[in-house]
Amino acid sequence: MNRILAIARNTFRETVRDKILYNLILFALVMIGSSLALGQLTLGNEDKVILDLGLGAISVFGLLIAIFIGIGLVYKELEKRTVYALLAKPVRRYELVLGKYLGLLWTLGVNLAVMTAGLALALGYTGRAPAGAYWRLLPAVGLIFLSLALATALALLFSTFSTPALAALFTFFLWVIGHFNADLRTFGELSGSPAVEALGRALYYVIPNFGNFNLIDGRGVLQTAGYARPIDPWAVAGAGAYALLFIAFLLALSVIIFARRDFK
Amino acid sequence: MAVIEIENLTKDFAVGFWRKRPVRALDGLSLEVRAGEIFGFLGPNGAGKSTTLKLLMHLLSPTSGSARILGRPAGDTAMHERIGYLPENPYFYDYLTPRELLTFMGRLFGMGGAPLARKVRELVGEVGLAASADLQLRKFSKGMVQRLGIAQALINEPEVVFLDEPMSGLDPLGRMEVRRIVTGLRERGVTVFLSSHILPDVEAICDRVAILNRGRLQEAGTLEDILRARISGHEVILSGWTEGTLEAIRPWCSEVRAMGERLHLRADDREDLEAVLGFVFAHGLELVSVNPIRPSLEEYFQTLVVGK
Amino acid sequence: MKSGGGRHPGTRSGAVAALVLAALLVKPVQDFIDARAPAGEEPDLLFFNSPELVRKMALGFEPLLADLYWMRTIQYYGRRDDEGRRRESFENLHTLLDITTTLDPGLQDAYRAGSCFLSEPPPVGAGQPELALELLEKGARSHPLQWRLVYERGFVHYLYLKDYAAAGETWLEAARVPGAPEWLAGLAAMALSKGGAEEIAVSLWRRQYEEATSDAVRDNARNHLHSLQVKRDLAALRDRIERHRAATGSFPPSLGTPRDPMGTPYAYDPRSGRVDLDPASAVRCLDVP
Repeated sequence: MNRILAIARNTFRETVRDKILYNLILFALVMIGSSLALGQLTLGNEDKVILDLGLGAISVFGLLIAIFIGIGLVYKELEKRTVYALLAKPVRRYELVLGKYLGLLWTLGVNLAVMTAGLALALGYTGRAPAGAYWRLLPAVGLIFLSLALATALALLFSTFSTPALAALFTFFLWVIGHFNADLRTFGELSGSPAVEALGRALYYVIPNFGNFNLIDGRGVLQTAGYARPIDPWAVAGAGAYALLFIAFLLALSVIIFARRDFK
Repeated sequence: MAVIEIENLTKDFAVGFWRKRPVRALDGLSLEVRAGEIFGFLGPNGAGKSTTLKLLMHLLSPTSGSARILGRPAGDTAMHERIGYLPENPYFYDYLTPRELLTFMGRLFGMGGAPLARKVRELVGEVGLAASADLQLRKFSKGMVQRLGIAQALINEPEVVFLDEPMSGLDPLGRMEVRRIVTGLRERGVTVFLSSHILPDVEAICDRVAILNRGRLQEAGTLEDILRARISGHEVILSGWTEGTLEAIRPWCSEVRAMGERLHLRADDREDLEAVLGFVFAHGLELVSVNPIRPSLEEYFQTLVVGK
Repeated sequence: MKSGGGRHPGTRSGAVAALVLAALLVKPVQDFIDARAPAGEEPDLLFFNSPELVRKMALGFEPLLADLYWMRTIQYYGRRDDEGRRRESFENLHTLLDITTTLDPGLQDAYRAGSCFLSEPPPVGAGQPELALELLEKGARSHPLQWRLVYERGFVHYLYLKDYAAAGETWLEAARVPGAPEWLAGLAAMALSKGGAEEIAVSLWRRQYEEATSDAVRDNARNHLHSLQVKRDLAALRDRIERHRAATGSFPPSLGTPRDPMGTPYAYDPRSGRVDLDPASAVRCLDVP
């Protein structure tokens, strides 16, 4: 466990010293800030515009961070052969995989915290959101964190056996499909062919379902009259369990692949 | 006592994109390295030296055969507590400073606190990086990275150290430093397994060597023994000679050269040598010297690589 | 590598066990989440319900994304759950249509079919004719030469908002668009003068039915035409029964076998004198003027 933590800490340090990260966060904050301007263009619901745009920006930039930093780190470790010296230490391969993953989550968590603080500030600037909305930002961002943790596990898995460009492409592709896989199932049902229906149903469970994490949006955070949309804690817990299971699956697969790998 | 036992170690790599075919990088290598010696692992580029070291570190898994270090299989991570490894052309996280890198590596051994800080300081000084201990590695030259690589291999005070081309990329002064560090390790009883193609360095510090070419072991033993087996004749130097001498000994010599007062002769086998020496003593000539002619390590290498 | 896992059999079998266990549990957890989702709620829209944001993020793939969103809209509208029920609330319908038409303003079907989905009162549609008007106006801004989009707006005014004056004005507006058919002016005149006449409704639905480019719109128009026909048939039949009773003092023993537009005979009970659409009829009867 100490070794995993040491690797996680080093991974986090690597991202902190990487300029790309700051650029991404800066972009996200600029985008959240610009929602203030956009919010003024609408009538009456600037809070919701700010929240929708802000949560969207956190989600998208979080994904970029997860993909580029996640894949970049693992790839660099292999390509630049830093892994040779590391694996000659009393480090088991699964410890390396888990340490890297934890370090990436650490990075993601810090980034989301910064972006969430920016969003809360933007919301506070309008001064119209109910006090509870700030608290309800936490589960909303928490769900985004879960979805990004899942995306990171995908990125990690792909980068154990593929080039970074392909790994990034695969991850992004699955993230997009993962938002549409309820539609895949519906498409199967509408097709009328039992084979296509079974396929659609199977894909629904096999492809990571990123739709599961879209439980709380701007309306859910605001909870003001007219936008009321209750937060179901059980559904949130279900999404958490789903993320944990899928991540466990992906990490276990990464560990198995990584343990079998030759480092030429 | 054997510290490293390699038995019939073989590694195939699959090459080719569509139709993978195996290429044998290492073919049935068997070796033993004894405790406390500096063992040189020699061979031209592509001979399989790095492959062997990676198999020993279990970065690669063997196609067949086995390797044991300190009596444990190569893949035993607990055994890794007691060894150190410098990869070929090492590269470390360039966003770290030497101090941070060594501290990180030390933590992987469960070290920490003041003892780790002390050990890091000591190592940084030992490899000559004290002045740049807090500079990020991205500013480092290849030689400085190489020194740091040696330092990280020693962080856990290992019993066995594996160094893959430790001299490469270093200037003559740096090579001297590394020689000094390696011989220092021997004094502390550490076993060193060192791969290199820089022969003078190997000749200077290794107790025993193994020579590898195209994945096969050519020879193992002390350099002395290996090269003595290849004595190709003797050089005899005389003085006080006459024209008659020249005529008389010419049949036994493959080469006769007059250099002022001295006469340089070359006798290819023992019979010829005895005949020459008999003539010298019988005719009261003055014998200056008799030296075996053995190839230099470079020459031996050349015959290895060109000859096959 | 052969010995990679063998080296740490514990690691390997632990990883395999975690893999299998997680794989087995994913489905029940997913089903649990789906069961918690509010009935008919589309959970996927939430972060991206700003059309402009979606358009910005499409990064040049707007037409493709528009097609995807249009497919989703249709599924959102038409999908049935396992028991064959359709969703009951369509609160995201307008957002979906808005995103679709922002991504590709050229998708005319989205305006026309979309306004129909939005206008119909629940449970058939969202019951939001005002949003339908908004959507059609957005369409007309992108397609100033399409009289049909203006005409549809009058249609919404007339049939759903029952604002006959506004309908007439809108149809006059449509008639002024270059290339508009002549009958539009007549329709406007009828709406402005008579207001509420059933004939207008029938002719409107008939044109809608004949010119529909999507099955959903055509089916909706047919249902309306059938409903209007049923309403007329029943009125005529009840009138006949009433006259028979006035003349003879009793209900007619039989009406013959008048059939509804889908061919099922109307249900008649000679004892009570009641006549109605047979419950087994294939006609989907709607509330019509």
